[in-house]
Amino acid sequence: MTIEEAARKLRAREVSSVELTQESLRKIHAEQPRLNAFITITDEVALEQAQRADDDFGRGIDRGPLQGIPYALKDLFKTAGIRTTGGTKIFDQVPDYDCAVYEKLRAAGAVLTGKTGMHELAYGITSNNPHYGAVRNPHDPARIPGGSSGGSGAAVAAGMVFFAMGSDTGGSIRIPAAYCGCTGLKPTFGRVSRFGTMPLGGSLDHMGPMTKTASEAGLVMDAIASEPLSGFSTPGFSLKSVRIGVPQNFYNERIAPEVAIAFAKALSRAEAAGARLVPLIVPDPGAINVAGRTILLTEVSALMEPYFGRRDDFGADVLSLIDQGRMLAGTDYVNAQRFGRKARRQWAELWRSVDVIFTPTAPILAPFIGQAEVKWNMESEDVRLATTRLVRAINVLGLPALSIPLTPDPLPIGLQIIGPLFQEHLVLAVGAALG
Amino acid sequence: MTDWKTLAAARCPDIPADAVARMVPALEALGASFRPLALQLTPEDEYVEERGA
Repeated sequence: MTIEEAARKLRAREVSSVELTQESLRKIHAEQPRLNAFITITDEVALEQAQRADDDFGRGIDRGPLQGIPYALKDLFKTAGIRTTGGTKIFDQVPDYDCAVYEKLRAAGAVLTGKTGMHELAYGITSNNPHYGAVRNPHDPARIPGGSSGGSGAAVAAGMVFFAMGSDTGGSIRIPAAYCGCTGLKPTFGRVSRFGTMPLGGSLDHMGPMTKTASEAGLVMDAIASEPLSGFSTPGFSLKSVRIGVPQNFYNERIAPEVAIAFAKALSRAEAAGARLVPLIVPDPGAINVAGRTILLTEVSALMEPYFGRRDDFGADVLSLIDQGRMLAGTDYVNAQRFGRKARRQWAELWRSVDVIFTPTAPILAPFIGQAEVKWNMESEDVRLATTRLVRAINVLGLPALSIPLTPDPLPIGLQIIGPLFQEHLVLAVGAALG
Repeated sequence: MTDWKTLAAARCPDIPADAVARMVPALEALGASFRPLALQLTPEDEYVEERGA
């Protein structure tokens, strides 16, 4: 059932929010031993909020399509009175205030069922957390769900909740969306308030929704965005007027055969629906990735300086990245930001010739838990670098990017749809038309 | 080539030597990719967004 269908049933009194929430909590508890998607399950809060939503319906109060809909927050969104860990021992706390996104979702009448598992500090792509356990992929529990918003991706893909919130600093919404087989939107930088979230990289962090469909992601964005989306409308949207940029460089290199085939089929489907495919050379995403990694290493290490003395409280992978960031020079950070500004100007020119750009979200299928490398003929690539290779640059550019699921067989594969700044409504409409 | 071990000993003495040794390949690889990009940047790349403002 989608959010739209549930919203209709709630208003027709065919189901109550309490019933939807009880079913959601039942699934969460049933799947928790298998997938470990949650760090905290908020049964009591959920049932209270669901009852309030039903009471409001009974009084004729309608707060919009999310009223009475069960959802989850990645465990870096602060929630007053509810444990929030950031996936780390360091920040494990019960906050005394709410983040802006939770305030907005409460105002919209949505029902919080819990806080989802994540990579420690959101600093990695496996969600294999040394403190709270490994989150597992619902399609194959031996594999990672992706990360860092792995619990949110698993919860949505396994049907535990209608939607979940994630954060994306180098692909952390889009990667689990691709590996778990759901939809994830990284909005334009600044479009969704980060107040009250645990930061990772201040110039790269984005908050966004994870849902089953692009149309649902639009509904969530309407509730959480600092300003409503302009002109978002999926019904009746036609791909006929859309120019789709298809990169002829970088995004077609070192791609697993299953991903390449699924991507080619998606292009054919878009073309058959009337879209115009425009071959494109995109300005050096590999170099932008390098700048992005330099920025992130430095920003995280700066953030963590007060905690350098607590080396035993970090997982090995995260500690190594924090150490690496400490070794970089201030000039490296400034030049990486300068490079990012130059890249943003270069990419802005692309939108003269295309409306959106299609790429695969990840070049590989979900790796196994503990897998360190990907083999490409004679060379190998670090799993983290392979997984982030096609998504990280978009964080530096600040552009909206959506990942939609292409196929669940044998494993999910994601299509990334990138758009111009503040054109979330366009990438969502294109995603919905293809979905 | 950066002498990461000496740099770490001077700047971050709390990082154990074995941890430094493990991260040297990653730092070398990043530096090799990043240094040419940094050297491409010129003063003319600054303030371009403010043209016409």
